[in-house]
Amino acid sequence: MRIRRAAALLGAVAVIVGACSSPGASGSGGATGCKVGVSWNNYQEERWAKWDEPAIKAALAAAGAEYISNDAKSSAETQASNVENLITQGAKVVIILAQDGEAIKPAAASAIANGVPVIAYDRLIEDPKALYITFDNVLVGKLQAEAVLKVVSEGNFVIIKGNKADANADFLRAGYVQAGVPEVGQNSDKIKIVGESYTDNWDPGKAQTSMEQFLTANNNDVDAVLSENDGMAGGVVAALKAQGLAGKVPVSGQDGDAAALNRVALGEQTVDVWKDSRELGKAAGQAAAQLCSNKDIKAVSGVGQFKSPGGNDMTSILLTPQAITKDNLNVVLDAGWIDKAKLCQNVAAGSVAACN
Amino acid sequence: MTEISGVPDATSHRPAGRVRAAVSRVRSAFGSATSRVRSVTTSLEIDTRLLGMLLALAVIWILFHWRSNGNFITPRNLWNLSVQSASIAIMATGMVLVIVSRNIDLSVGSLLGFLGYTMAMVQAEWIPQTLGLGFDQPYTWIVALAVGIGLGALIGGLHGALVAYGGVPSFVVTLGGFLIWRGLIFWYAQGQTIAPLDSSFALLGGGPIGSLGDRWSWIVALIACAGIVYTLIANRRRKRRYGFQTRPRWAEILVGAVFCVAVLAAVWVANSYPWPPALASQYAADHGITEPPGGLRIATGIAFPVLILAGVALVMTVIATRRRFGRYVFAIGGNPEAAVLGGINVRRTIMLTFVLMGVLVAISAAITSARLNGAVTNLGVQNELDVIAAAVIGGTSFAGGIGTIAGAVLGAVVMQSLRSGMLLLLVDSPTQDIVVGIVLVAAVGLDALLRRRAS
Repeated sequence: MRIRRAAALLGAVAVIVGACSSPGASGSGGATGCKVGVSWNNYQEERWAKWDEPAIKAALAAAGAEYISNDAKSSAETQASNVENLITQGAKVVIILAQDGEAIKPAAASAIANGVPVIAYDRLIEDPKALYITFDNVLVGKLQAEAVLKVVSEGNFVIIKGNKADANADFLRAGYVQAGVPEVGQNSDKIKIVGESYTDNWDPGKAQTSMEQFLTANNNDVDAVLSENDGMAGGVVAALKAQGLAGKVPVSGQDGDAAALNRVALGEQTVDVWKDSRELGKAAGQAAAQLCSNKDIKAVSGVGQFKSPGGNDMTSILLTPQAITKDNLNVVLDAGWIDKAKLCQNVAAGSVAACN
Repeated sequence: MTEISGVPDATSHRPAGRVRAAVSRVRSAFGSATSRVRSVTTSLEIDTRLLGMLLALAVIWILFHWRSNGNFITPRNLWNLSVQSASIAIMATGMVLVIVSRNIDLSVGSLLGFLGYTMAMVQAEWIPQTLGLGFDQPYTWIVALAVGIGLGALIGGLHGALVAYGGVPSFVVTLGGFLIWRGLIFWYAQGQTIAPLDSSFALLGGGPIGSLGDRWSWIVALIACAGIVYTLIANRRRKRRYGFQTRPRWAEILVGAVFCVAVLAAVWVANSYPWPPALASQYAADHGITEPPGGLRIATGIAFPVLILAGVALVMTVIATRRRFGRYVFAIGGNPEAAVLGGINVRRTIMLTFVLMGVLVAISAAITSARLNGAVTNLGVQNELDVIAAAVIGGTSFAGGIGTIAGAVLGAVVMQSLRSGMLLLLVDSPTQDIVVGIVLVAAVGLDALLRRRAS
């Protein structure tokens, strides 16, 4: 019985593996033959496969290094074993997009102890021996808040934050404070925070429900909404639209989602802070290629120091994000990030310069 | 024995009805003070568990109303609550039948995402762009919905066939589905958000525009009342014809009056929520109406998702209590061996519960994506847990054979009341999860305790 089940399993695996073609990789350059492993936390999200992965692959190929990867499917436990698997497969450098920056620490530390440098990609891993490459997320928050404050500088503010377990949610919030928004649980002379909530899994549907309840509690007396990303901004705008307030209340976001950029063109979203993922992927790929020959993370070009929330001095590469508003939509068009038909769907002729 | 709410003659086609009549005669013979209360509930034939849930809901609402300075029991918040509960409640009605037959469906959240995404692709990509027919065609929303429901039935049937004919446990089949359907979303468009949706389809999500308005809401209420009265009379006649015991006339009238008043009150509340001023002035401007001083007042009425929920709950109750299929489901859950020996086609029946579940998930997927006016990759994440929790809080037993549709809908409303209420009080999401978890365990624990006492 057990043998039969094992045979059936083997058969099934053989069929599935046979169906998926595995691309071979080869190249030449400074890091020839060096294997770089990437551990994705959740490959299903929009950006990773579309923008980050090709950029990493291209940078590695240019240096002659080889790309291998696996996906943790949003599980911190899976990711820990995934990192080990990459090293078993011969990875000399590991790039980790952490599901949980705390839970992945032992796996990262063990990799570093075994002489495999670790790059914390986009999300922080609190280990000073890891190289942290990201867009400056505090700056993202600051840019969001500044763009919203430019439209409405005082009144009742609602803050829709991301997943509580994600350090970025708090970095972004810190950026709001830098721009002049009061701290959690406080109010200033000008700004009163009338609703503030984390959102499980950054779920737009949950963000919509939160927004509906905040509008109800304040009888629609909300002057501005700081939403930490574009997906949740979609939920916020849907809630505002149901009250006839879409376009009248400024809303922030980030990620450069096509739907969100369309909302910026329509005037329903004020700002979309755009982090060109290709820049991030390129930086990580180049850094990994350098680490192939020299394992010292401080020797990688372009590094600086970054004081983490955990009090560690991280060696890091921080890239600069860009705030996209109605006035500079041509930036994303020119970069080929989005096509004009998508960006300008339903936009009234002549209302937005980039759509003409 | 199976347990069914509010439907007096659910077991009347069985000889058990006579036994029950005898039991209630014996019980009324006790005549003590405590059993006087019981004799009133017996003659009203009310499901005491449902009554208990309604009381619990009332307590929750009053507590939130008090703590939120009078912000909870308002037309606007109750209207919000009804729309926010609809999607989970619709799926919970199907989950009742799945759990009653001693199965489980863990795939509903992922399936909701997959079907929602598919419907979004049909209306925002395939019809307008791939086929080049353009946006906002009059037939777009129907085609999208039909594709979603058809696909939902097909996938549900696949799950069901594997469970019933393949002999794979439902836990395993739907755990596989949980992974597969979420994974397939990614294959469509590398996880891009698909928005905006067709403007007619978006109405399915509710919002002031996606609602019936006052006149139609009242018409629906009156039809519902007529239906209640007709059902009560028809039931009474049928029972009389077969010589079963019926409620006393006063009890019959009281039950009818209570249900009717409840329906009318719900519609009155929905109609007391006026369109938001900004939308009303926009409407006035668009239709060339001069606004009266103080603004134009348009009643919102029942939202479309809530109307759909009411229809689904009605149909599911009829299926569960009046149709052979539904009775078979309860018989299988109560005692699978006896069901087989009794000549019930168990496999076919189990498969059909999953088909039904798939259809209901498709309906919920339409509502959820329409409400958001877009499809995102994490649409419906963790919904399976909310749906199962709603069914269980509503009195569905994992031992099989016990569960009610009305209970599941109430369970969904209880959970959403907690979440929406805590948001009003600015309680953050981690604390919300803790409270909902405690309520889930406490509700089921209390239920088990009372059941043990009763037996």
